[in-house]
Order: sequence, then C-alpha cells, then structure tokens
Amino acid sequence: MASAPTSQMDDRELLRRYHQQGDRSARELLVQRHLPLVRALARRYAGRGESLEDIEQVGAIGLIKAIDRYELSREVALTTYATPNVVGEIKRHFRDKGWAIRIPRGLQELNAKMSSTIERLTAKLGHSPSIAEIAQELQTTPEQVLEAMEAGSAYAPVSLSAGPSGEGELDPMETIGTEDSNFERTEQRASLEPALELLPDREREILRMRFEDGLTQTQIAEQVGVSQMHVSRLIRKSLARMRAELS
Amino acid sequence: MPHDTIELTTPVGRDWDPVVRLVLGGIADRLNLGFEELDDLQLAVERLLLEAGSQDSVTLAFDVSENGVRTRIGPLRAGALAEALQGPPPPPGELTLRRILETVVDSFGVEQVAEDGQLIVRLEKVVRGG
Repeated sequence: MASAPTSQMDDRELLRRYHQQGDRSARELLVQRHLPLVRALARRYAGRGESLEDIEQVGAIGLIKAIDRYELSREVALTTYATPNVVGEIKRHFRDKGWAIRIPRGLQELNAKMSSTIERLTAKLGHSPSIAEIAQELQTTPEQVLEAMEAGSAYAPVSLSAGPSGEGELDPMETIGTEDSNFERTEQRASLEPALELLPDREREILRMRFEDGLTQTQIAEQVGVSQMHVSRLIRKSLARMRAELS
Repeated sequence: MPHDTIELTTPVGRDWDPVVRLVLGGIADRLNLGFEELDDLQLAVERLLLEAGSQDSVTLAFDVSENGVRTRIGPLRAGALAEALQGPPPPPGELTLRRILETVVDSFGVEQVAEDGQLIVRLEKVVRGG
C-alpha cells in the first residue's frame, strides 16, 4: 500500500520521518505547518520596540529548535512542546539582543511603527516617503522621525535564515564579528565575493538584487516578503559581516 | 532655494556614525529626499568612513541645493581607496566599494588629492520629483 503524501501526515508521523529517517522535507513541512502558532505568539510581544516580522523570525528559530529536540517517546503534542520553546526564544532575544543602549520608550514605539508606515506610504504615494511625509502620517515631527530611525540602529536585527547552528547551517543568532579599522589594500580592491559565500542564501540574494540587479529596497522587500526597513538593516548587516570576514 | 553649505568635522569611528546620520537626515528632510534615498546616502558615507580606517578625524562638507546634495569627505587615506574608486569597473558579480557606491549615489569621484597624498571623495545625490 502506498504511503500517504507527507502533506497529509500528522505531526507525529512527520516527526518520526525527520528523526528516524532524516527526512528534512518532513521538518520543513512541520515548520510551515506551525508558523501560524509562531505568528500568534509573536504578536503578544509586538509594540515593544521591534517589528513584528523580526519577532516572528526569532520565534521561528524556537520552533525549529523544538522540532529538532522533540523526543518521540514523549506523549505530548508538538504544539504543546513548541509553545514554551518559541516564547523562550523570543524572551531570550529581547533580553540578549534587545536595545543595545537605553532608548526612551516613546522612540522605541515610534520606531516600531515606522516600518509599516513606510510600507503603507510607499504604496499610497508611489515613491519612498520623505521624512516629512512619515512625520505627518505618524502625527509627529521630522526630528522625532529621525531620532526614531537612529534609535532603530541601536537594535540588533536577526537574520532571515532561521536555521539551527551546526550541520553546516548558519545560526541566525551568531554575531557578525567586529570591525577592523585597518582595511588592507588588497581587501579594498578585491571583490567581496569570497565573503559573500559565507552569507545565508537569502541575504546573499538580497545583496545580489540590490547591487547587481539594481533593484530598490522597496522592490526587494516586495519580492522577499519583508519590510523595506528590514531589507535596509539586512544589507548593512551583510556588508558588515562580509567586511569582518575579510579583515 | 539658495545654495547652502554645512560642514561637520567629526572623530572617525562607529560611535560617531549616528552624528553623521542625523545630519544627513536633516538635510534629506530639507530636500524632501525619500526614505530610501536617505538610507542610500547614509550607507555611502558610512562605507567611506569605514575605509578611513584609523585616522583621527574627517570633515564632511555638504553642499545643498534644490538639485540635491554634494558631499565631500576627507581627508581620507589614499592608495587603495583611490584605486578602488578610480580603477576599472568591477567585473559583473563582484561586490566592491565601487559597485556599492555606483548603486547608492548618482555619482562619485576623487575630487582632490591633498599634498600629503590624502583624498577628498565626492558623493552626489540628486533630488528626484516624487
């Protein structure tokens, strides 16, 4: 008798296939199936100074860890097991990777609103909104918008690639290294190509779209499915990481 | 809008980047630049300041007109930077400083070479109608 398609298998069967047969497509299906749970949990932590999509990315890491650590001998549903893992990952993120310096709560909240505001205005106006347009939409001043933007740079974003460390996969929580003030001649002249290979696929693709295909951040955001501000932060982070690798 | 110049001399280092970004933000607001254009300009200046390496300070002169903003940054260490900016275009697929600047500003170049061999680099960002 032919076995059922994996999409119709229950969680337990998928977990068995992953843990006993090493079937990574089963793991991927479990992740996709339970992303709505992650989104629901992530929403509880929205409005604390970080975009919802960033929190969801962190929560997804918790989900993957739960799937990887699940013991088949447990008589507990995956959702039950995964929930504290997802919440724990999000809380740990806020504790460890949160605001690097103390930012007034008002600015944190303003920064959190900016991403969706910029997206909304870009769609409405047909161009990237100016500081004044963002300020008007948020009923604040241009100075406050600029301060909120700057406050955002005090936050450490996470990677788009939600995979566990080890097994050749990149841990999205790993640090990007430190900047070396001495950038050698050959490194300046040479391509950053070797370091490019060290980036997660999706971030490498974002750099390619921006600097090779010449797409704008907004266009990339539409294609990748994240906000324009997130694209901006990932580009900066990726370039910094590549430079650190070459130093 | 008259032609205005804003000049900022700042220590070099990541700790001082926010000061530069805020000044650029104020100029972008004055020129009605889009958020993305501001972000591009900030990235260009940040990358160049990174290349300034271990030098103590740098001066940024912003010439602001209704057409856009021309930023002069210097003095920067010469040598590799001049090669990076003035050499042949990078082959397709190579991500170099030059490729980054070509993407994020409308034009750039080495405007002045000081007697001691240090450079002034020019970046231009044009205002486009919304």
